[in-house]
Amino acid sequence: MSRDTKFVHLAWQRDERALANVRYPMASDVTGDVARMFGVLDEEAGLTLRGTFIISPEGTLLNAEVNFFNLGRNIDELLRKVRANKHLAAHPSEGVPAQWKKSGDVTLKPGPKLVGRVAEAMKRK
Amino acid sequence: MSEVCCSLQVGEKVPDFELDMFDPVKCDFGKISLKKLKAAKKWTVLFFYPADFTFV
Repeated sequence: MSRDTKFVHLAWQRDERALANVRYPMASDVTGDVARMFGVLDEEAGLTLRGTFIISPEGTLLNAEVNFFNLGRNIDELLRKVRANKHLAAHPSEGVPAQWKKSGDVTLKPGPKLVGRVAEAMKRK
Repeated sequence: MSEVCCSLQVGEKVPDFELDMFDPVKCDFGKISLKKLKAAKKWTVLFFYPADFTFV
């Protein structure tokens, strides 16, 4: 999403071959109100920063990542975060460590037994 | 919404919003509504970039 109109979204998606496989809605935040709500509107430039936000089905903001205009995002990491959020929604007592990639990988159960023993817990299969 | 002074923090509830959109699958215009996405039990990823015709 950006502050462009839906008409410009259409023209861009039709023109740019890199967007040929886009399957998600391209939202038009013309007023910048939604960008402002998430703190990614550069008021001087009138443009939106490269912000990524994951919202749960309950409407809770669970992740926020913001890059400056000149740095793109890692989509593998975004997909990892979405998978991790879904896993955590189903397993609320667990924590997902940095190395976690998919369900079945080692997760952590915060509690007295984990204190000072993260290295051992990470070796568990 | 222009009265909002402070941006959202992780862990907070996101206020409902509705925006015009272009749907490349249907090649049609429509609306995107957080309220409807929540009602459909969907996870939502908002992906901002500076402007169309920039790299994403």
